[in-house]
Amino acid sequence: MQGSVRYYGDLPVLLGSISLLEDAVSIYLPIAEMSVNMFILFGMGASVGFLSGMFGVGGGFLMTPLLIFYNIPPAVAVATEANQIVASSFSGALAHFRKGTVDIKLGVMLLIGGLIGSTLGVYIFSSLRSAGQLDLIISILYVVFLGAIGTLMTIESLNAIRKSKQDDVPVKRRSGHDSWIHKLPLKVRFRKSKLYLSVIPVLAIGMLVGVLAAIMGVGGGFIMVPAMIYLLRVPTNVVIGTSLFQIIFVTGYTTIIQSATNQTVDIVLAFILMVGGVIGAQFGAAAGHKLKGEQLRALLGLLVLGVCIRLGYDLVVTPDELFNVIGSMDQGGH
Amino acid sequence: MKHLISLISGAILVAGTSLLPAHAESLQMGVSVDQVPVSSSFDGAEIVIFGSIETNEQADLYRGEYDVVIRVEGAPEDVVIRKKERIGGIWINNQSQKYEAVPSFYSILSARPLDEIAKSDALEPVSLGIQNLGKAEPDIDQKTLVLKPGQFSDALRRLRVEQELFAETPGTLTQLSPSLFRARLSLPANVPIGEHKVTAYLFKDGQILNTNESSFKIEKIGFERWIYNLAHDQGLLHGIMAVLVAIFTGWAANAIFRKN
Repeated sequence: MQGSVRYYGDLPVLLGSISLLEDAVSIYLPIAEMSVNMFILFGMGASVGFLSGMFGVGGGFLMTPLLIFYNIPPAVAVATEANQIVASSFSGALAHFRKGTVDIKLGVMLLIGGLIGSTLGVYIFSSLRSAGQLDLIISILYVVFLGAIGTLMTIESLNAIRKSKQDDVPVKRRSGHDSWIHKLPLKVRFRKSKLYLSVIPVLAIGMLVGVLAAIMGVGGGFIMVPAMIYLLRVPTNVVIGTSLFQIIFVTGYTTIIQSATNQTVDIVLAFILMVGGVIGAQFGAAAGHKLKGEQLRALLGLLVLGVCIRLGYDLVVTPDELFNVIGSMDQGGH
Repeated sequence: MKHLISLISGAILVAGTSLLPAHAESLQMGVSVDQVPVSSSFDGAEIVIFGSIETNEQADLYRGEYDVVIRVEGAPEDVVIRKKERIGGIWINNQSQKYEAVPSFYSILSARPLDEIAKSDALEPVSLGIQNLGKAEPDIDQKTLVLKPGQFSDALRRLRVEQELFAETPGTLTQLSPSLFRARLSLPANVPIGEHKVTAYLFKDGQILNTNESSFKIEKIGFERWIYNLAHDQGLLHGIMAVLVAIFTGWAANAIFRKN
């Protein structure tokens, strides 16, 4: 509970509306070993759930930084968030299973890579933690990934908005069936996706997502979905279902390994976030239907950039307190 | 030879009698609870430590020449202090210092500020007071906290005070009568779990006359205890349970909202 003195005191603007409830019920988190406001956490879960339902993203990349801003030890935030994503991705995947939009074979391949990556990630997590650099690496990874994705999303959606205002848009043909990815050996046929593809890039993408799940507490959909569409050329109708399939198992596995290795999964915290998250997601999905796709993506892009700048600012600004203390009885960051 | 023995026994007798007045002053003490339960609604707690000064010197007692100082200590732990330095534009934990046997909780309760009660040469050997912590002679038999003056030991004290884990609060102890005293100990929400040692010191003229010890436990109870023990003793099982809870929640949400 001590690792993040620099984050003291400020809740994100996003939570401004629910901070009125600050005096309300507090709940003691058994693993984070701190007393928190249940309504604020529930509200955080619901807000992020709303956004993830609206934009069709997992939300882990927003939730973990929010938990850190709320002074949850980063180690606990990351591991607990993996647990929450199991719930949200399972809820989302059920619909895809019913519609049959999951390529199980491709999902299993991504999953094998994911399990290897997650195991590696938990190991890296433990070593960074004992070296006292975990919080820093989590922040840097977030700044890099959120910065890249936020910029791409904003540019892409602004372009789309501009194009939609012109009458006829010259559609750029997707070149690249002859790309290097498709020249790799160990090819396997994926019937559902109508692909004949090397397992190497599939395993590699799965592995990267697994590492990120363990270190950043994200599902990794924001990497996997574009990678599947643009690199592997998986048909868009099976992309979401297949990536959710992989995410359920990778985050589930990560939760178990984090709990067994680092004892940083707080089931009470996770449960509050899950309940808020799945409820928020339903309303978000409904709201998402009423807004235009490009405008939604532009909004999300700006939001992602905002979180990125906030985290980046904390890395470069001279901290009020240069020292931090971690005791062997604390949970935070050691 | 006989002379020598009688001389020694005489000396012992004299020493014995001269010790008697010192021990004639003693302290009785009790803690209002044996156990502080930490449940899901735990947001800190206040407990009361009470006791009495017992002395033959009634006149001194009524003049208020005695002072009681109470120290509450949590279980010792190893602590690492890290200092951030700017490297390549970003602030990175660089230098660090490790300390052994730092009390996980440390609170001094007294009626008056410690420096009005005694000088540091009386307080340092018994580690009484935040500034006097870690200045006692190291004990060879067990881990002892040694805090050499410097930026890391300053930071340790400062941070633990900010986190409300170290406190030195004059005015928390009240004399209800010349002999009876009562002290209020407030435990913050982040108080460490475990056995806490309570030591009371009786002072007169800046010297420690006697001490007394007691203790209480801070324990997680009910669901919190069960979850904590499960997570720490059987992390694998706890993780599997966490995943099952998540799957159930995801399924339930899907089932409920699909009907609507």
